[in-house]
Amino acid sequence: MITVRNLHKAYGAKTVLSGISTAFPARRITSLIGPNGAGKSTLLMLMARLLPPSGGEVLLGGRSVAGIRTGEYARHVATLRQSPGFSMRLTVEELVAFGRFPHSRGVLTPEDRRAIDEAIAFLALEPLRGACIDEISGGQRQMAFLAMTIAQQTPVLLLDEPLNNLDMKHAVQIMRALRRLCDEQGRTVVLVIHDINFAANYSDHIVALKGGALHASGPTGEVVTEARLRDLYGLDFEIVRGARGCLCNYFNPRDN
Amino acid sequence: MRSGRLWMFWLAAAVLAGAFVFAGAGLDFGYVIPKRLVRLAAIAVGGVCVALSAIVFQTLAGNRILTPAILGYEAVYLLWQSLLLLLLGTEGLAALGVGGNFAVSIALMLGYSWALQRWLLRSGANDVYLLLLLGLVLTMVIGTFTQFVQLRISPGEFAVFQGLSHASFNRARPETLALSALAVAAVCLAARRSLPVLDVLALGREQALSLGVDHARQVRRHLALIAVLVAVSTSLIGPTAFLGIFVAHIAYALAGSSRHRATLPLGCAVAIAIFLAAQLLVEHAFNYQTTVSILVNLVCGAYFLALVVRGRGTA
Repeated sequence: MITVRNLHKAYGAKTVLSGISTAFPARRITSLIGPNGAGKSTLLMLMARLLPPSGGEVLLGGRSVAGIRTGEYARHVATLRQSPGFSMRLTVEELVAFGRFPHSRGVLTPEDRRAIDEAIAFLALEPLRGACIDEISGGQRQMAFLAMTIAQQTPVLLLDEPLNNLDMKHAVQIMRALRRLCDEQGRTVVLVIHDINFAANYSDHIVALKGGALHASGPTGEVVTEARLRDLYGLDFEIVRGARGCLCNYFNPRDN
Repeated sequence: MRSGRLWMFWLAAAVLAGAFVFAGAGLDFGYVIPKRLVRLAAIAVGGVCVALSAIVFQTLAGNRILTPAILGYEAVYLLWQSLLLLLLGTEGLAALGVGGNFAVSIALMLGYSWALQRWLLRSGANDVYLLLLLGLVLTMVIGTFTQFVQLRISPGEFAVFQGLSHASFNRARPETLALSALAVAAVCLAARRSLPVLDVLALGREQALSLGVDHARQVRRHLALIAVLVAVSTSLIGPTAFLGIFVAHIAYALAGSSRHRATLPLGCAVAIAIFLAAQLLVEHAFNYQTTVSILVNLVCGAYFLALVVRGRGTA
């Protein structure tokens, strides 16, 4: 389980996160939601140790992450940033193999090969195995990067807007894969997500940020309410619950 | 297929090397061939330095139109040569000897690199782009100093300086070569161990960190290795400017993979083949009327322009 305690982040005089204390439950999917500039990605970067905090600490299973070596941390926590626009010539398989680097430092063992095969099979990427990542579509590339993160076989996965620029089909594929990672393999997933409907339908837990401060956190059912969302986004919401999940409709807000 | 291309290039380099050593030598093992073997060795060491430093530097910078020259190593070398001529004149240069000049040049470039990184680290910044910017500004400042010094030296000394500011394989001596080969072999050994790390570094800072690579430490380590390579090649054969970009791009295009395991050896073969071809042309087609630098910069400059025009938006 990851907990953050009184976390602050400031760039010069500009504070982007102030006094965040919350917990991300183990073996659950937690969505970080909030309007633009709320500090979601910054919080994720602090948890990933890609940025140093200005104050407070991140705890992994009760242990402060500041004292963990980079090499060891990568065996506990895997991070995927928005996949870069990328000019390297690598096959999907070679990219996924990078996920094994924290374990084998580049010399693949039979166990590494098994993990790579599993990650590729998990996302049904076998047909693309030998394809170059600069020749496949954006959605497929995102899947390949996710496979790399899965092959890292860490208890915790941190994903920064994994659905960015994806069509609905790829987005659903990725969210279903994350659900299975959590349910079948007991991994902890924390993701920054903009689409409130994906957050509401796929996550167990939601942490909502607004203006650099914690706005709400709790089980999805408690956070996704019309009143809370209206307050968070400054938009009128209508939540329709049906047999196949709930739908947060904000497309035609009532003017009041 | 990939290793086939590598072998093809090594074969081409070997054929060129054979032609270079034996063409018109009349099997004169007393004078001509030993002299040519020294130049061949200088070409091999220089080629390896140029290829490795350029490719590794491009990986660290995450940019494929840069060479380590942007950090100002060659500018430091040229300033030192012009100062030497100003203060000691050609006699001083002769007194220092090729070996002495070689050693002092290497020491100066390593010292410069150390100071540059030291200053950056102390200022707390850990940013490759800041390093590039600083290097670029220093290159221009040092270049201006060099021009100022050039105004003060005599035309004869200026001609000597011109000779030193072009890449040439005629300057190498067996002693300096042995030292260079030793240094380059040590760097290659160190780089061999870090081939997978280089692949991860190429993914960018954030991805490298989340894969457990201490990005700042590895960048420092590899910049130090690059400094050794550039110092050795510049002291041994002179500034090579554009050649690194050219070599790196041919290697990327031919390797069919961005893995350093593939690009680094191929780059070395390409660099050696280009140097050999240029030196053969200089010796046999142009009869020493032109220099390797001019040929290489002409071809590489044209290639670089084509690259910028064609690859706009992707480079």
